Amino acid sequence: MIEIKNLKKVYNGVTVVNVPSFEIKRGESIGLIGNNGAGKTTLFRMILDLIRPDEGEVLSKGQVVAGGEEWKNYTASYLDEGFLIDYLTPEEYLYFIGGLHGQKKAQVDEYLLTLTEFFNGEIIRKGKYIRDLSKGNQCKVGVGACLLQKPDLLMLDEPFANIDPSTQFRLKNILKQQNKQNGVTTIVSSHDLNHVTDVCERILLMEKGRIIKDIATSSSTLAELEEYFGVGQTVSNTTFEFDREENH
Amino acid sequence: MFSLFFTHELKSFWRSANTGKTLAIKIVMGILILILFMYVLALGLFLDRILEKAQPNENLTVAFCGILLIYYLYDILLRLQLQELPTLKVQPYLHLPVKRNTVVGYLAFTALFSFFNLWPIVLFVPFILKIILPASGALAVVTFIIAIIALALLNNYLALYIKRKANLNGFVLLIAGGLLALISAGDFVWHLFSLSKISYLFFGNLIKMPALVLLPLILAVVMYYINFAYLKSNLYLEELTTRKNEHKSSTEFPVLDRFGRVGDLVANEIKLILRNKRPRSALTMGLLFMFYGLIFYTNPAMPKGFNIFVGMFMTGIFIINYGQFMFSWQGAHFDGIMVSKVKFADFLKAKYMLFTIVSTVAFLLTVPYAYFGWKIVMIHFIMYIWNIGVNTTVVLFFANRNYKRIDLSKGASFNWEGVGATQLLLSFPLMLMPYLVYWPFIAFGLQNTAYVVLASIGILFIATRNFWIGKLTADFETKKYKIAEGFRNK
Repeated sequence: MIEIKNLKKVYNGVTVVNVPSFEIKRGESIGLIGNNGAGKTTLFRMILDLIRPDEGEVLSKGQVVAGGEEWKNYTASYLDEGFLIDYLTPEEYLYFIGGLHGQKKAQVDEYLLTLTEFFNGEIIRKGKYIRDLSKGNQCKVGVGACLLQKPDLLMLDEPFANIDPSTQFRLKNILKQQNKQNGVTTIVSSHDLNHVTDVCERILLMEKGRIIKDIATSSSTLAELEEYFGVGQTVSNTTFEFDREENH
Repeated sequence: MFSLFFTHELKSFWRSANTGKTLAIKIVMGILILILFMYVLALGLFLDRILEKAQPNENLTVAFCGILLIYYLYDILLRLQLQELPTLKVQPYLHLPVKRNTVVGYLAFTALFSFFNLWPIVLFVPFILKIILPASGALAVVTFIIAIIALALLNNYLALYIKRKANLNGFVLLIAGGLLALISAGDFVWHLFSLSKISYLFFGNLIKMPALVLLPLILAVVMYYINFAYLKSNLYLEELTTRKNEHKSSTEFPVLDRFGRVGDLVANEIKLILRNKRPRSALTMGLLFMFYGLIFYTNPAMPKGFNIFVGMFMTGIFIINYGQFMFSWQGAHFDGIMVSKVKFADFLKAKYMLFTIVSTVAFLLTVPYAYFGWKIVMIHFIMYIWNIGVNTTVVLFFANRNYKRIDLSKGASFNWEGVGATQLLLSFPLMLMPYLVYWPFIAFGLQNTAYVVLASIGILFIATRNFWIGKLTADFETKKYKIAEGFRNK
């Protein structure tokens, strides 16, 4: 699905992304994790041809992404609010996106019915422009617009960050369903290790622009990742928690 | 605390993205302000002579006292339109242990730093020193100056108060405007009362009774406290910002549906223009320009060659005014457009279509200028063709070189965001090209040929649009990363 060859991006002498060789197969569900500044969003942007790599290239279904238009037909993505047209109402925006993929308004309406639970009555016909919605609800619009496009490749950058627990739960189900039933290749980044290990079958850990771990999710994955991010404090952490309980 | 606030304010000015980056703009702006200042100063210095010319039968002091109140009436009107509310800047302090009185006091205090408060002093003090000092003595001068400053402050806080009220309810502004219109109509149209007499009643007596100076002073202080109290009781973010909670409905343009994806893009852009403050004022500016012709066509002394410019501006002001900031208008969601299934050629076609629609409407609106002869309408038509042929392409060529983001929600007046060298460069071809085509023929007395050539070039560009779209797309491909990155920089 996605093939990365010798990809490199340097800002002011600092290498933010450096991925020598890498492949994502069709139907995989990828979780991208890493601390702030690890290069996750930059990698996303290069896969989406929004940033020009200093070296190397990204191939999507065997075709070079840069300058191409073909990948746009089957790729849906939501990285941040910059992806939404904020002076439109959510309905107008969704009709617009649907229209780009040749869907009539009735078809869009029909599809949106399947998202009723996800939108939770906060999006459609609320009499608000997208810019007046909260960040969490904007995220719902963005994800909804992605699903509407019935993509082969779905890319979400920290979708869990702003949404409420119920929506997080629903989104996880949607992602699993899209991947299992529709065979959609998903790439999701998150800072929440629980979510990522729950949804994704393959975890990529980035540090300083490099992919330093590439693991298939198993029962021990979460502990392994917690150890990495806890910078060796995982054990003492639990005892500390215990102490605090005792002091109460 | 005030001094700390003040240093923050200075930092925010110097470090803000749109003031800090381009020194050239700062210099140009500084020069413009200086020129304006010189004009007002000159007006103030020669005010006695001007009044003498305008009202030769009146005593100078009487005439002067008569215009003061009228000045302040229009001052309010100007302030309502142009003076900016010092509001959102307090947001970072509201949750900190800073006393509310300090924050509100600071807000009220910074409101003093407005050019509007400087004008009356520059304008009237020279006259007071020249005429009133020798005639009525030093005490009269002091009371006059105090009265003038006090009235300026009264206006200052009154205008801010009205504007703050208007933020919560738009009708307040309408009522205030209507009231001002009624007052001026009452004097100048219906002659019910005379503003200059009322003005003289106060200022004339001020010379005799210096104690009267207390009146404007008290009014100013009262207004200050009304403003202060209002701000203090409404120091909540949702009330300070201009966001209104009215129901927003979806709109459709069925006509545009027929044009498929390009039509959708045009519909989006029309919504962009109508739903955001700054592009909306670009459109209103265009409507005001419809009266541009009245200035020129009623004046027989204007050289004929000017007509092509008048025609170009009237039918194409939107292309120039709105187009100069392309694609910055869409900067906030440019990433979204880039990854969505929008072909750049379609994106450009939508721009051409939008320009064509607006220019066509503008041309139709200028048809009544037929009153000045059908030839003028013909010139308008030729320049309309030129606009949708040549100028659209020129504007889009420069749009590929524009990397500055624009925040749509901010107003247009004194807003320099998104302004850069591109806009300056753009104005040269727009202004010069029609003249370069027109002038050589005129030099040989071939006026009609000049028109024919202008129209032919316009038609040629329209006929070859797809060629230009191809060129522009290829050009865009080389610059898109830079444009997208520029738009991401807030």
